[in-house]
Amino acid sequence: MELIVALGLIVFKVAFLIAILLLLPLPLTWLERKIAGHIQQRMGPMRVGWHGLLQPMADGIKLLTKEDHIPAEADRFLFKLAPILALAPPFVVFVAIPFGESVSVLGHEITLYVSNMNVALLFVFAVIGIEVYGVIFGGWAANSKYAVLGSLRTCAQMISYEIPMGFAVIGVVMLAQSMSLLDIVRAQADVWNIVYQPVGFFVFFVAGLAEAQRIPFDLSEAEGDLGAGFHTEYSGIRFAFFMVSEYAIVLLVSVLVVILFFGGWNGVLIPLPPLLWFVLKVAFFVYVFIWFRFTFPRYRYDQLMAIGWKVLLPLSMANIIITGVLLGAVGAP
Amino acid sequence: MSRAQDKVGTWIGWAFFADLANGLALTFGYMFSKPVTMQYPDKEKWLPYSRYRGHHFLKRDEEGEIKCVACELCARICPCDCIEVVPYEDEKGNRHPAKFEIDTARCLFCGLCEDACPADAIALGQQYEFSSFSSADLVIGRDDLLAKPGKAATGGGVVAARLNTEQGVLVKSSEQQGYNWWRNIRRT
Ligand code: SF4
Ligand code: SF4
Repeated sequence: MELIVALGLIVFKVAFLIAILLLLPLPLTWLERKIAGHIQQRMGPMRVGWHGLLQPMADGIKLLTKEDHIPAEADRFLFKLAPILALAPPFVVFVAIPFGESVSVLGHEITLYVSNMNVALLFVFAVIGIEVYGVIFGGWAANSKYAVLGSLRTCAQMISYEIPMGFAVIGVVMLAQSMSLLDIVRAQADVWNIVYQPVGFFVFFVAGLAEAQRIPFDLSEAEGDLGAGFHTEYSGIRFAFFMVSEYAIVLLVSVLVVILFFGGWNGVLIPLPPLLWFVLKVAFFVYVFIWFRFTFPRYRYDQLMAIGWKVLLPLSMANIIITGVLLGAVGAP
Repeated sequence: MSRAQDKVGTWIGWAFFADLANGLALTFGYMFSKPVTMQYPDKEKWLPYSRYRGHHFLKRDEEGEIKCVACELCARICPCDCIEVVPYEDEKGNRHPAKFEIDTARCLFCGLCEDACPADAIALGQQYEFSSFSSADLVIGRDDLLAKPGKAATGGGVVAARLNTEQGVLVKSSEQQGYNWWRNIRRT
């Protein structure tokens, strides 16, 4: 009986998570277009619903009813596989992510995470690495020069940026003495990691921008020079998969930034419910992503590589060494 | 400040991403500025100035008689050959058009017909909303041309608009000086 309840709870949590992740891109696209519009002194969508609120619905219906076109020379199997490969990892990753300690519903303590892995951080990085296959397969299978160029760029970009990203969190792991995200957040109850790890945060955030393939590092889908990059040839629901995946990754990077460097659900000054604190912080970073997108121009390809290898990598390494030396000399804060 | 110091300042600025922060501050400020969008045709629309060459119209004289004397000069000068005039003589012996048709699908709105007319009978007015699904609807006859709105007294203003364009054109300006396109744009 105990087992069935526990299993049922896990299934419920997973279903809830998937529903949220599938639905969240709708308000996010609306928000992105609105923010873009207002930054450029336009209004954004105005005609469907109040201030265009139903626009994402209209877009969704449009994408669902569009022809699902597969280019004649495409590798059909890989072409169909790629969107799923791109979509699944960001969803899987959220299994390891805690959203809070626990809430009590009807006298039961329900934890706000699906699983508390002791190597959650490692799991996150391992699984999110798979996402790049979706992009590479998608570009390769389409048999189009723009798509191949886009996925080649992605390939190099992902390799260059996953390394500093991984190094940047080592300082956090050293401070918390644990790879469990739950422990990392608990370790920040008094002082957030951003105080001890500003360089780590900087490297992680920049690498996260590159990982999410957002401006200024969106070379894989650079609209200006590559059509739409790796998903040039995709249409209809498969294109929507890539879009949902992109927003899920934006969300994931924001959540990771909050958990690793901004104290997770630990609040400051204002006593709000922990979950609300968490959501507010994540929302802020999602906004920063969108804000960056409409402020900065895209980096050139060689600049992208130079930033990755010549700036972020040495910075993250120096961060590890300095953190280690300080921990040894001064002791844990 | 000497040049060397200037350089040091620039480097310090770069180290703390002063340039990126500037950009972010600028876009953040713009996010709360008023949009310049004119929501046509949902809410508002722009009225052209009186020199605008829109849909043709035929004028009447003081007695309410059509001014056109059916001399066919406009049909001659028209580079697109889109005016067709058939004259008749009324009981007072005056020439008037029995048929006056303009094929606005072919018209290029050059305004030559207006310039050529010796009787000051035809002119290009302010209306610009007359698109149609069929090119046959774009052949406008004499009586329709007489009913078309004339030249604008003022222009450049913004008036309420709605999707239904059959209401005719409102020749009324809320901004007498014309629409200031730059009023919400910040120039530094
Ligand atoms: S505006 Fe020009 S093209 Fe149009 S009817 Fe007059 S003369 Fe012809
Ligand atoms: S509109 Fe003017 S130019 Fe044309 S036929 Fe009439 S009087 Fe002549």
